Amino acid sequence: MMEILALPFMQRAVIAGVLLALILAVLGIFVVLKRMAFLSDGIAHASLAGVAAGILAGLNPLLVALGLSAILGALIAWLERRTKLAGDALIGLVFTGGMALGVVLLAFKRGYQPELVSFLFGNILAVQWNELIIMAILGLAILIFLMICYKRLILMLVNQDMAHVAGIPIAVYQTLLYVTVAIATVLGIKLLGIVLVSALMIMPVTMAKLVAKSFRQLIVLSVVAAELMVVLGLLTSVTFDLPAGAVIVLCGLAMFFALLAIKTLIKQSTHLSSRA
Amino acid sequence: MNAVSVKNLSVVLGENTILNHVSFDVTKGSLNAVIGPNGSGKTTLFKALLGLIPFDGTIKIFDKSTKDAMNRVGYVPQHFDFDRTLPITVREFLSFAKPDQSKQDKEVCHETKVDELNDKLIGQLSGGQLQRVLIANALMRNPKLLLLDEPAAGIDMEGEKVFYDLIGHVNKKHGVTIMMISHEINMVYHFADQIICLNRDLVCNGPPQEALTREVMDKLYGERMDVCDHRHV
Repeated sequence: MMEILALPFMQRAVIAGVLLALILAVLGIFVVLKRMAFLSDGIAHASLAGVAAGILAGLNPLLVALGLSAILGALIAWLERRTKLAGDALIGLVFTGGMALGVVLLAFKRGYQPELVSFLFGNILAVQWNELIIMAILGLAILIFLMICYKRLILMLVNQDMAHVAGIPIAVYQTLLYVTVAIATVLGIKLLGIVLVSALMIMPVTMAKLVAKSFRQLIVLSVVAAELMVVLGLLTSVTFDLPAGAVIVLCGLAMFFALLAIKTLIKQSTHLSSRA
Repeated sequence: MNAVSVKNLSVVLGENTILNHVSFDVTKGSLNAVIGPNGSGKTTLFKALLGLIPFDGTIKIFDKSTKDAMNRVGYVPQHFDFDRTLPITVREFLSFAKPDQSKQDKEVCHETKVDELNDKLIGQLSGGQLQRVLIANALMRNPKLLLLDEPAAGIDMEGEKVFYDLIGHVNKKHGVTIMMISHEINMVYHFADQIICLNRDLVCNGPPQEALTREVMDKLYGERMDVCDHRHV
């Protein structure tokens, strides 16, 4: 095990995984609170257009996808305010539109695209130092933003009218939140791929909700669950030579059912002992 | 000085006129009930007062525009719809609205009997308890005007009495002007200083004993409604 961890690519993968798990798990709480589990999934799929544009133009696909996703996040927030249409419908619009544009753009590039496959299904073991630096800078910016604004964001998500009366500029905070989710989602694509990235936003908070007794606990337990998912998944994937992204998601699923089983057993035994 | 002064307020959403040239004043320190049938424009009036929707006419709150007066307004919404499985304690919820709670805020929690709910989860509160938390949340901003949108809806009779006592206390002891949307005409009849009856137009405005005439009730609810004098125990 130590030999594996001594390998530079594995060290980069673990650092990237731990960092992304932290950001995506915390942001996942806001996504679930907004009841927009679909948001990260939609942004991830739409970012294919950015990846394709980057590949075609010979630019870093990650950077192009980051820029495009930030614009799409702001666009969804703007459309939601202007049209009063349901968020899910708007995300569906952007999701399919971005994906379709990506497919069309990729038609101009002939031959096998290894970079494209890595964006579709993730390839954390191929993370480079320059990508790690981008992740660290943006990840830190996201965490600082959330630390400063999380109370205002939560009040806005719980009730917009109350937040307005409390002097919170809804349009600004909603746009900032969507752009933040969009950027974090694209960063997570390197780890889990377009197809699976939303799992790291949804699974940890879903597990934490099973046991948390306060919002503070929810944050801590979500982060712990996400880190466990990533570390267990990475080690399992390297040990058995399996795709890292998919194994991380399956680890999360196994953890969820294990936690559910333990909780049910504890509840039953407490119920039985109270009847005795 | 009036707490609220509304002149020629009209709200049109799409092709529907929701409020039509409504004018009224609310005296500072008074307790006011806004009544009217469903779809009569009560919640729309509140949204206009809060500056949440565009409107024609003039609204002055403590002689200021709605935007400038917002730091003196507290609001308790009709719908508080959120994921009830999310574990947020009452203490945490109140800290989201006001991160730095003062001694006065702790007093608000005590007066609203919210301090005994501090460690409970918001999603597990009864209708009456949740209403008290929302009122505490609004009072923590030390408002001079409190807007309550159907606050007693979904509360049992015991909770209702606690709620009306609390509102009376906030109004009389702290001098907070209160505007409350209500469907409980009998409660309003005994409780409010002034009523504002809406049915797209302003149907009546004044002390309930004077304003709630048979003719007004017919205009609001049709000919089968009347006010019966009975008191809640």
